[in-house]
Amino acid sequence: MLKIDSVGLIISAVPLLNNISIDCPRGSVTALMGPNGAGKTSLLKVISGEHKASQGRVEVNRQSREEWKPADIAQFMAVLPQSSTLEFAFTSEEVVALGRTPHATGTVRDAEIITGALAKVDASYLAQRSFVQLSGGEKQRVQLARVLAQIWDHCEPGGDGESNAPADGILLLDEPSAAFDLAHQLMLIDIVQQISAQGVTVVMVMHDLNLAAKCADQMVFMNCGHCTAVGTVTELLTPDLIKKVFSVDVEVITHPVQGTPMVVV
Amino acid sequence: MKVLNTRLITPRLCGLLLLIALPLVSLLGLMTGPVFIPLADILSITLSGDGGNSQETLIIEIIRLPRVILSLLVGALLATCGALLQGLFRNPLADPALIGVSAGASVGASVVIVFGSMFTAGGLLLGLSAISVGAFAGAIITSVIIFRLATGPQGTSVATMLLAGIAISALAGAATNTLSYLADNDMLRRISLWQMGNLQGASWDRVGLCALTAAFLALLIPREAGALNAMLLGESEARHLGVNVEWLKRRLIIYSALGVAISVAVAGVIAFVGLMVPHVIRLLVGPDHRALLPLSALAGAILLVAADALARVVIAPAELPVGVVTALLGAPFFLWLLVVQRRRT
Repeated sequence: MLKIDSVGLIISAVPLLNNISIDCPRGSVTALMGPNGAGKTSLLKVISGEHKASQGRVEVNRQSREEWKPADIAQFMAVLPQSSTLEFAFTSEEVVALGRTPHATGTVRDAEIITGALAKVDASYLAQRSFVQLSGGEKQRVQLARVLAQIWDHCEPGGDGESNAPADGILLLDEPSAAFDLAHQLMLIDIVQQISAQGVTVVMVMHDLNLAAKCADQMVFMNCGHCTAVGTVTELLTPDLIKKVFSVDVEVITHPVQGTPMVVV
Repeated sequence: MKVLNTRLITPRLCGLLLLIALPLVSLLGLMTGPVFIPLADILSITLSGDGGNSQETLIIEIIRLPRVILSLLVGALLATCGALLQGLFRNPLADPALIGVSAGASVGASVVIVFGSMFTAGGLLLGLSAISVGAFAGAIITSVIIFRLATGPQGTSVATMLLAGIAISALAGAATNTLSYLADNDMLRRISLWQMGNLQGASWDRVGLCALTAAFLALLIPREAGALNAMLLGESEARHLGVNVEWLKRRLIIYSALGVAISVAVAGVIAFVGLMVPHVIRLLVGPDHRALLPLSALAGAILLVAADALARVVIAPAELPVGVVTALLGAPFFLWLLVVQRRRT
């Protein structure tokens, strides 16, 4: 679905990414992790098309990223940035409605989707509130609802999706949980698992190793623009590798119930 | 959690109120002036083509009707372009002066006024005096310079455009001041009057020119409403929503430069309409451009007709420049709004 093939990125003579290759099959969840300045967001921006790769290429649905027209790719690929700068007093509902910009599904269907997306991120009660007055975590939840609304037909089982949709959904999330409380962090994991089960390919930048371990099929450790390691959660969450990438000493234990690896500082 | 209703009225109601106000204010504009013409005479003149005495017919047909229509069009153009630019810059305080149009127009007009003898030979062009042509050229040239300065291989940066606009406006201001310094007393008076804006020069030719521009923009601008809404989220967010942001920016800059340049050419610099009207409409019905753009056009039209009517009566038989009236009324009203808005949030 999404193929990153020896991608390099140089901006103003500064190399930000170096020979990165990652394969994200349909319905997979990939967590990009690494210390600040490792190039996680830059990689996300190359995938989203904001930066053009200086070397290598990104393939979306077996077609080069650059060959996709913005209007076509927006039908199935949504991007949640780290923070939002909306200064105009839209209601939350209207912000989510903006997610339907690429589609012409009609106001009735759109209204259903908007209500559904707000409910999904536990923000129905915010629908009529002015976006600019919300707290950071609430804003991020509404923005999450917006990107879900954009690819809604790919997220929902049995949704009467657009038959002419050119591809399965792709969702790019940049530190989606940074402003969330514990309950909403778990909600996020839940949503990611649900939509990936519906075939949406998710790539997300995360800092919390344990949170990422809960839902990632594939982890990518990045450092100084290089890809240090790619693998499953069990392969990557080892004290040696974490020491190498993050320069911290940790213990890795097994979750007493779920059996997944857990990082303890 | 309490639910805050952030909107005062629905777009539909707002549109209805404005549509009721529009003909009323226009009639008021036809009635007022140095010679008061009663409503009954206006109706018989405009509807049947005669009636009343011939002097009133002449005043209406040659002076007031074109003037009122021109005010409607210029007001609508300024307010719509203000709304476009505020959306483009994602800043509710942006106004047409930001893209250097007003300052450039002032230079153009001043050049013609000061070195006028060289230009008057050409006579009138499309009903525009040489001053108007100079203003239009000045407006377009400055906005092109600012646009080019802000456009690099990475696309157009609105932040650079903002800074370039301020710098070019300052430069143009200095040029206008130099010309004012060179000018004799009569020229100086004409320069400063022109900069205050007025609709005295209204004629059917100018109405035609403005109407053409307005019709052209009215066809194109509503199509951008959805993309403008997406732009409020940010440029990259809009791109991810499928908007071709670079082309959108270019189109918006062309539309607003054209709209403002034409209105400046026919009416001089009229302050505050482009800034204030979209701002007020946004407070009333919210920032959705699908409602904001048409409602701003209506409200701008109404505001300018009313301001022009006022300009004709306050110191009658003399006239105040309409730009002075819009600023005199607009600035305090705007400040009041800001204070109220602060208290509410």
